[in-house]
Amino acid sequence: MTRPPVDPTVELRGITKRFPGTLANDAVDLTVHRGEIHALMGENGAGKSTLMSILYGMERADAGSIRIDGREVTFGDPSAAMAAGLGMVHQSFKLFDSLTVAENVVYAAEPRRFGLLDRAAARRRVRELAEEHGLAVDPDARVGDLPVGLRQRVEILKLLHRGARTLILDEPTAVLTPAEADALFAVLKSLAAQGRTVILVTHKLREVLEGSDKVTVLRDGRVVARLVTADTSADEIAAAMTGRAVDLDRVHAPGTPGDAVLEVTSLTTDAVHDVGLTVHAGEIVGIAGVAGNGQSELVEALAGLRPVTAGQVTLKGRDITHVSATERRAQGLAYVPEDRHAVGTAPAASVADNLAMGHHRTSLSAKGLLPPATVRTHAGRLIERFGIKAATPEVPASALSGGNLQKLLIGRELAHEAPLLLVEQPTRGVDIGAIQNIHDQIVAYRDAGHAVLLVSAELSEIRGLADRVLVMYEGRVTATYTKDEADEQALGLAMAGGAVAPTEAVD
Amino acid sequence: MFFDSDLLMSALRALTPILLAALGGALCERAGVFNIGLEGMMLMGCFTSVATSWFTGSAWLGVLAAALAAAAYSLILAVGAVTLRGDAVVLGIAMNLLAVGLTSFLLRTVFGVQGTFDDPSLAGLPLVGGFTPLAYLAFVAVAVAALMLSRHVWGLRLRGVGEAPDAAATLGVSPAKYKYAAVLISGVLCGLAGAQLALGNVTLFSENMTAGRGWIAVVAVMLGRAAPVGVLLAALLFGLAEAAGFRLQGVGLPQQATDAAPYVVTLVALFLSTARRRRRTANSPSGATT
Amino acid sequence: MTHTQIPRISGVLRSPITFSVLAGLVIGALFLVGTGADPFTAYGAVLTGSLGADGIGSTLSTGTSVLGMALALAIPLRAGLINLGGDGQMVLGGITAAVTGLYSPLPAPLTVALALLAGMAAGAAYAALAALCENSLGVPLLVSSLLLSYPAVSLASYLARYPLKEPGSSLPQTRAMPNGVALPAFGDSTVTIGLLLVVLAAATYWFTDKRTAFGYEIRMTGLNSRFAAYAGVERRGLTLKLMSVSGALAGLVGAIGVLSFPYRFVDGSLTAPGYTWTGLTAALLAAAAPLGTVVASFFFAVLAVGGLAMERTTEVPRELTQVLQAIVIVFLAARLRFPSGWFRRRSQATSQESPQEIGAA
Repeated sequence: MTRPPVDPTVELRGITKRFPGTLANDAVDLTVHRGEIHALMGENGAGKSTLMSILYGMERADAGSIRIDGREVTFGDPSAAMAAGLGMVHQSFKLFDSLTVAENVVYAAEPRRFGLLDRAAARRRVRELAEEHGLAVDPDARVGDLPVGLRQRVEILKLLHRGARTLILDEPTAVLTPAEADALFAVLKSLAAQGRTVILVTHKLREVLEGSDKVTVLRDGRVVARLVTADTSADEIAAAMTGRAVDLDRVHAPGTPGDAVLEVTSLTTDAVHDVGLTVHAGEIVGIAGVAGNGQSELVEALAGLRPVTAGQVTLKGRDITHVSATERRAQGLAYVPEDRHAVGTAPAASVADNLAMGHHRTSLSAKGLLPPATVRTHAGRLIERFGIKAATPEVPASALSGGNLQKLLIGRELAHEAPLLLVEQPTRGVDIGAIQNIHDQIVAYRDAGHAVLLVSAELSEIRGLADRVLVMYEGRVTATYTKDEADEQALGLAMAGGAVAPTEAVD
Repeated sequence: MFFDSDLLMSALRALTPILLAALGGALCERAGVFNIGLEGMMLMGCFTSVATSWFTGSAWLGVLAAALAAAAYSLILAVGAVTLRGDAVVLGIAMNLLAVGLTSFLLRTVFGVQGTFDDPSLAGLPLVGGFTPLAYLAFVAVAVAALMLSRHVWGLRLRGVGEAPDAAATLGVSPAKYKYAAVLISGVLCGLAGAQLALGNVTLFSENMTAGRGWIAVVAVMLGRAAPVGVLLAALLFGLAEAAGFRLQGVGLPQQATDAAPYVVTLVALFLSTARRRRRTANSPSGATT
Repeated sequence: MTHTQIPRISGVLRSPITFSVLAGLVIGALFLVGTGADPFTAYGAVLTGSLGADGIGSTLSTGTSVLGMALALAIPLRAGLINLGGDGQMVLGGITAAVTGLYSPLPAPLTVALALLAGMAAGAAYAALAALCENSLGVPLLVSSLLLSYPAVSLASYLARYPLKEPGSSLPQTRAMPNGVALPAFGDSTVTIGLLLVVLAAATYWFTDKRTAFGYEIRMTGLNSRFAAYAGVERRGLTLKLMSVSGALAGLVGAIGVLSFPYRFVDGSLTAPGYTWTGLTAALLAAAAPLGTVVASFFFAVLAVGGLAMERTTEVPRELTQVLQAIVIVFLAARLRFPSGWFRRRSQATSQESPQEIGAA
């Protein structure tokens, strides 16, 4: 240390940021001290990401000031923030898959010999850092081949290589198993003990309570609570986040299952092995699991978008294992995919055209004709029924907010009144008002006698909606729980591979 | 003897322009810019080299001017695709069309001829050991590009920019800067390729004289998976096909059959390489090397 | 009333299409000034030369080929597919029509119909081959269609120069069609009912695009192919269908060329005017929209024919019109961002909101 540490390390004063239509940050103050793990909490849309983007030089504040180690700074871009000792691990990793771990770590801050990259030095540097901080990873491994948990280590090593004294982690556990998350927190604690500062952006209560020293809670762009973790409780934080008594864990009443609608036996496809499951009419079956354990592949195989290598799928008793996606839809399947921009909609097309998809060969057309007037009327009906906020049906879908686009997508699929609904991550990135609306729609759909297969990475969503919960781990269904058995602990353990014996999906 | 040193010599001559252009294409590909404007850049190089050589009497000034003109021309792609975020495919197609129109227009306004400009006193490139110095330069360029891409810091950053521009940007590396550099270098290389074609392989300019070589270079980038040595092998394949075509013409095959040969060979090579890649990925899910 | 007019006018001016066309004309004018010609005289000559009594016939017959090729390229482009093999498909259609016309034993009118159909079939089959290369062999359509074009042109050239060559002629051309094997022309002009055929094709395309479920699927595939696939639109089948239609239209243009003056297949005469590239330019300018494609094709036919008149009056080479065309597309491509998913190979469009999928590559 050349200078005596100045306290506090990071100080934001009166940060205000306005986007068209919203006040993302409203005079936010945030103070983080050296050596502490500081959790920044809030619901989606509370302004956490905007605040961190401003701190990291990716956005410019309309008003307010930033002090780092006591000096006032303005960052024009992330590299300026990095030079001041900040480092950020983004929620979606910023890594080069085809490059090695060492290349990723030293990228843009390379050790050189005669202008050439000094690979031996890079490797050595990675090993040293890894050893020092307990972040073991092979420097020569290709990043694309690494599991998520290790990629995150590479991200942290990248920051340490650049000498970051303050680490910002955006939703770091979203893609980790509980065990991996625990390992991450151990690393963070040791970093803090060495005098580094950690800012943790998250909306998960458990990790905040277990891993942080202090908590700042944002709601609607404002700081609503500053708490010391040791003196607070989950209820207090949750109440601050939502602004009302906790209904985060609102559990919907169970359904009344009827006949089997979807029956899957020994299904095998890419990343899915020998999966069996049944979904009944009037039942929501939830699939829990850490992202990347075969859930997406399973759903795509069921929807007819991925060929099945072995096993059988029947829909209302009819074998659909090898029929096309169109034919499956005709037999009674609707599907809300995970990625609403890239898969679920055509953002450049009009709202009306987006709402017509899937209906364009059935209810809306006769003899192959698809009159524009019919498409418009259909759109008008769905916009009203599902409360989609769109200026007119002619505006491009890209003009809708995330929540509205999701309502469009879910509304369109529900309108099929198909006996089976496949739905993936229905509320990811959606604000809390829209979440409740979407949950209510899904439950109403079930109560109307339809079968629903729900895939979600949000345990609270799974527990709130599902009548039965299956856990997927490494491509297999490793555990099945009834609504009452599915507590957070049991699910967490199973998601981490703790439920070793593959249980038969008994119904 | 069908395969003899003459055949190899003529194959090497035929491959030089393709190799230079394809190297440029490979750099762009690595930087994440899909460059299908090679054909047009090359054609600009052809015309500029001939015009400059004619008016100055120096083939070397012709080469220099060709490199500069094609680099300037490549700015259309750089500005359009990188700065304005236009579509690289459409830009490339438009650049190829523009080059044909522009060079034909200039051929008539500058030289007052239509079709072909050809004069015995037009200075061509000297031959050293049967090849123009540009042919040697092409091979040196392969080695330099290979070294830069795999070992140099610049190459590492370029590859990173091509694979994940936003990741590079978060580390303070400007993707635009690297993309511009790659496109401009491809312009220079295409200019050299054009000069080689118009002052080396022949000594004349004729309308649309690149005749699809830029497209073959695009395919060579695909076949060689944008690696300099891979691109060299792909260009060699094309050179052999063209040389063998000439040879077969001597045996009595119609010119049309031999004209088509390089394209057919290229297409078949593409089939085989994609088929092989597919089979391999089917066999080993982890993917294989080489 | 000025209130409503001003925004409308500024909207039209701000449209990238208007901008590109204006920019092309301005740069063309600079070229004209550079060569010492008066731009107004030159552009005036383009208009009078192409739309005047002497030129309109020529414009319409050139327009027949340009519109035909523009439709051939627009139809796949609507789904984001670029067919660069128009030349090969057109020439194969032409040579097939020539063979049919020369050797068909049927009466002349039936032979004409058969020759048209045969030309379309040949073009369709050859374009379908390019589609199969993408579907089954994994070679991108852009590349497979272009590479296939060269051998087709060589093959037709070979046929016209050797087995089918007119005996005694010094030109690389087939014999003339038998008496009566020709498309009926309007009066003594060079405009044939071929024009009606391509206009009919344009009308069919318009109707399909606007008012049918198939057209809807094509549009959605063009706007986001993963979205269309998710809802069950089968991409391979669509590629095959659209390429077949595209090739059939290109083949039709070739057949019309052979069944009109000079009523024979002349090596190079179909490809030399660059209908394929002009057609592609028109399709790109119109973003493949049916009516826009028709308008753009007419515009480019006017330029091509008027270019000759301009050359006569101002001695500026007619190649200038080709320059102008390309400049329009350069500007359009640079200013206008085509919807994501239109083209296979493009820089990754990042969706801001959805978290990136994290998985092994």
